[in-house]
Amino acid sequence: MTIPADLKYTKDHEWVRIEGDVATFGISDHAQEALGDIVFVELPEIGRTIDAGEAYAVVESVKAVSDVYAPVAGEVIEVNEELEGEPEKVNTDAYGAGWIAKVKMSGETIELMSDDEYNTFLEE
Amino acid sequence: MSGLAKTPMFDEHVKLGGKMVPFAGFEMPVQYKNGALKEYTFVREGGAGIFDITHMGQVRVSGADSLAFLQYVTTNDVSKLVEGQVHYSALLNDSGTFIDDITTYKISESEYYLCINAANRHKDVAHLQQQAAAFDVQVNDESDDTTLLALQGAAAQTALQPLLDTDLESIGYYRFAQVTVAGRKGIISRTGYTGEDGFEIYIPNAIAVDIWKQLLANGAEPIGLAARDMLRTEMGYALYGHEISDSVTPVEAKLMWITKLDKGDFIGKTAVETRRSEGPQLRLIAIKLTERGIPREHYKVYADGAETGEITSGMFSPMAGGVALAYVKPEHAESGALTVEIRGKAVPAERTTLPFVRSNVRR
Repeated sequence: MTIPADLKYTKDHEWVRIEGDVATFGISDHAQEALGDIVFVELPEIGRTIDAGEAYAVVESVKAVSDVYAPVAGEVIEVNEELEGEPEKVNTDAYGAGWIAKVKMSGETIELMSDDEYNTFLEE
Repeated sequence: MSGLAKTPMFDEHVKLGGKMVPFAGFEMPVQYKNGALKEYTFVREGGAGIFDITHMGQVRVSGADSLAFLQYVTTNDVSKLVEGQVHYSALLNDSGTFIDDITTYKISESEYYLCINAANRHKDVAHLQQQAAAFDVQVNDESDDTTLLALQGAAAQTALQPLLDTDLESIGYYRFAQVTVAGRKGIISRTGYTGEDGFEIYIPNAIAVDIWKQLLANGAEPIGLAARDMLRTEMGYALYGHEISDSVTPVEAKLMWITKLDKGDFIGKTAVETRRSEGPQLRLIAIKLTERGIPREHYKVYADGAETGEITSGMFSPMAGGVALAYVKPEHAESGALTVEIRGKAVPAERTTLPFVRSNVRR
C-alpha cells in the first residue's frame, strides 16, 4: 500500500495533485485494491464544470460499479483517454498512469488530508 | 460474519489470500490474491481452476420407487438415464415455475443423487420429503457431510488423475464414476459450470483439505466466486435467482430441453403446457453492447425506445465485451432496435447467440 507524500487525499479514497491552478485526480492504491480488477472507466466530458464532492467519473470492477468524487471544484480540461482501452492502469499505477482527469480549479475543495493524515485515517 | 457456515477449506482460502464474503449462508472466497481476471484467464487458457462449491446441497434418493418419484418431481426424463449418467433438470411448483434447477445422477435403479443450489437447499429438501410420502423412497440430505469441489479447465484431468485409480479418460461428458480417493468413497462427474472440460468432485468433508492440497500441488489454482460467475455467464448458463426463479417457467427460461412433456405426469406439467400454448410472457435473449459499457443485472432494456425488459446477468467479458442475458417482451425477442440504459444513457446493443464465447467442453 503506497501513499505518496506529494498528494492530498479524501475520505472517499481519491487523491489530488495540485500544481498551480490545475488539479489532477485519481483513486488511491487502497481504493483500487478494495475494488479489485477494474474493467471500465467512464470519464467526464471535457469542459464540464464539477463541484467539490461531486461524482465526476465511474469505475467498474468485475463485480461492482463505483462513483468517483471530485476533491476540488473546477472545469475539466483533460481526461485520461488511455483508460478507455486500458482501465487496468488504475490498478497497476493508481498514482501515475492511472490518473483519471485534470481540472482548472475554481477554489472550492472538500476536506483534504495529507499523506500522514490519510495513513492514520486508513488505520482507524 | 457471525452465523455464517464455513466449508472445510475456510482456513486454506484465507491462507491463499481469499477475500471472504457472505454467500448463500456461507463465508466464501469471491477472489484470491491475484484477482478475478487472472483467475478467469487461468481457467480459459489451459489451466486447472479449483472451485470450492461446498455450499451446494446434495440429496440421495433411494428405494424401490426412486424412478417413479423422480419422474414426478423433476422435469427431465429420468428413465433415459443409464447408470453412471448425469443430466440437468429442474424442480417445479404446481404453477410450473422453478423451485430450483438441479443435476440428477443415476447410481442404480433404486438409487439417485441430486445436486441442488445452496440457497434453495432447505426449500428443496422440504418439498422432496413432502412429495416422497406417496412413494416408497427415502430422501436424505447429505449436504452437511459432503464437500464439493469443481476442477475446471483443460488441465483438470492431468491434475486430478494422480489421486485416483479410476481412469478419468473412461468418464465421458455428463458421466460419473464412484471412486475411492484418499481411502474414502466419492463421486466424480465430468460436469461443470464454466464451458471448459473438467470435473465435479463429491467427497466426505474429512478428506476435503487433503484433496484440495493435492490438487494445488498438481498445478491447480484456486478460483473465486467472481471468476466463476464470469465463466458461467459467458456460457449463458442459467443461475437461480437470475434467469430462473419462482416467477418464470421453463418456457420463458429456454429450458424446455430439460422439460419432457411426453414422459408422463410431473409437478408443474399442466401449467407448463398451458404457458407453452398461450405463449410466454417474457423471453430470455442474449445481447451484446455495440458501444463501450458494461451491462449489469437489473439494468433496463429498451426496444425502439420503449422499455421492454431487464437484464438478469451481465458482465464485461474479456473475450466478447459487454454481454448480458435479458428478459424482454416476446415481440422484441427477434425484432426492434435494442438499447440498454446505463446511468441514464441509452447504449446500443444487438442480439447474439449463446454461448458468448466458444465452449470447450468434451462432447
